[in-house]
Amino acid sequence: MTTSIAGIGQTEFSVRSGRSELQLAIEAIKAAVADAGIDIDEIDGLVRYTWDNTTEAAILNALGLPRLTYYGETEFGGVNCCGAIAQACAAIEAGLASCIVFYRALNARSGTRYGRGDRILSEENGQLVNRQMEPPGDVYSAPFGLLVPGQHHALYARAYLDHYGLSDDQCAEMLGAIAVTQRAYANANPRALLRERELTMEQYLAGRIISEPLRLYDYCLETDGAMAIVITSKEKAKSLRSRTVDVLAAQQYVHPGSVPMFLYAEDTHRLVPPEAGEILFRRAGVSAQEIDVAMFYDATSIMVPMALEDFGFVERGGAHDFLTSGGNGPGGRLPINTHGGLLSEGYFHGLNSIAEAVRQLRGESPNQVDCETAFMTLRGASSMILGRA
Amino acid sequence: MNIVRPADELLDQPFWRHLAAGQLHLNACEACGAFRHPPGPCCPKCRHIGEHWAPVSGRATLQSYTTVRHPVHDRLTSAVPYVVTLVRLAEGPRMISGIPPGERYDLKVGLELECKVISYDARFALPFFVPVAQVQP
Repeated sequence: MTTSIAGIGQTEFSVRSGRSELQLAIEAIKAAVADAGIDIDEIDGLVRYTWDNTTEAAILNALGLPRLTYYGETEFGGVNCCGAIAQACAAIEAGLASCIVFYRALNARSGTRYGRGDRILSEENGQLVNRQMEPPGDVYSAPFGLLVPGQHHALYARAYLDHYGLSDDQCAEMLGAIAVTQRAYANANPRALLRERELTMEQYLAGRIISEPLRLYDYCLETDGAMAIVITSKEKAKSLRSRTVDVLAAQQYVHPGSVPMFLYAEDTHRLVPPEAGEILFRRAGVSAQEIDVAMFYDATSIMVPMALEDFGFVERGGAHDFLTSGGNGPGGRLPINTHGGLLSEGYFHGLNSIAEAVRQLRGESPNQVDCETAFMTLRGASSMILGRA
Repeated sequence: MNIVRPADELLDQPFWRHLAAGQLHLNACEACGAFRHPPGPCCPKCRHIGEHWAPVSGRATLQSYTTVRHPVHDRLTSAVPYVVTLVRLAEGPRMISGIPPGERYDLKVGLELECKVISYDARFALPFFVPVAQVQP
């Protein structure tokens, strides 16, 4: 592609921001354009998730932007963390805009919590009632108590374990290795919500079961805050004083039953056909073996082994051995989620993982890897490869 | 008591009306007969527009399951633990189901299941699935 990520900006990660989502979004956007070294008046495009409460109109008016010549939305939330980047890149390559900001603002702890069922349930006559039409928490699954994404992920995990004949103990070894490794990354990351809390394997195993086989530490953090990412043409990026990163490829790939929440797809032990990775790597002109550092959208830890296998970083069924032998850790074959991930840094719906990929390629990560390329995906539904400019 | 009830206006739809009458019916293509779930206006196999509702065998296999131990709503504190299942019907579609409250089974992916419709009142019933070989009295 001929586009670059020119800047990243964010608020602090917190559990109580004390301010509106609109204000958080504005703070993140101002930080991102400052990081890019552009004037705020140069923003002529916005992209966002449909799940974001803060509209493009609200941003346009609050910031007093001179004009927008492009604004677009990608469906859902984190599913499109790379899809929103792909959309911005496409708009720039089509000449619709020259400087696009992708933003996400959410008071996901002090406001509406994604880990709670309240957002898709009402209480009527002493009874919990549902009228949601699409997962998560739709009317065909909520009556059985399947209400939040974290419970869907437990279904993915069980299908995966069964497919490869892994015991619950082996599952805990594998997922515990992810949680403990990522917490250690977060302990070195001054931005991370859990930077001061260490996590040992003993503590992981003592964590209470949330939805079998997943424990407390297999889950991401409900977080308040906002993040913004500036996308420009590669040509414009070269003129900026900031350290920019090239988008080698960014794409969406969904298939029947895979969205919204993967309830009705053909298989559950894998989340995307091999074709998705083949297309992405071909577009980027690199192979899985040439990727130096990876960010896997870890709403829960089970997403890590599944992404490793779905994109051919390890062979099918090989994730357990890779992860329990430190393959994702410092000095490992493929360091993963070096910011601590959504499990331990915080949850800006995937944008903070994109930001960590950018930091790695700029040489600014708290857990720096010697890297030329970085990979990012949410279960293949959207994926991206970035390269050092 | 069940965990969550569909809103009254939704219980007028065929899926719920058939369950209230005691049997699981699924949306099916009026041209090729393929079943689909959730219901929709078009057949994803032959692309014919047009639907009807037909009874299914009630046979299914277990695709995945989880025991939910953490209540995600204050009113669900006494409902946990409960078991949610992902099943594939003999007719093809997958659906979310569960193990009836109070019943216990040894679950394993691939188990053969059969439908057990449990009625809560005149308008609302749910299609649970239980292992064929382990049916409780």
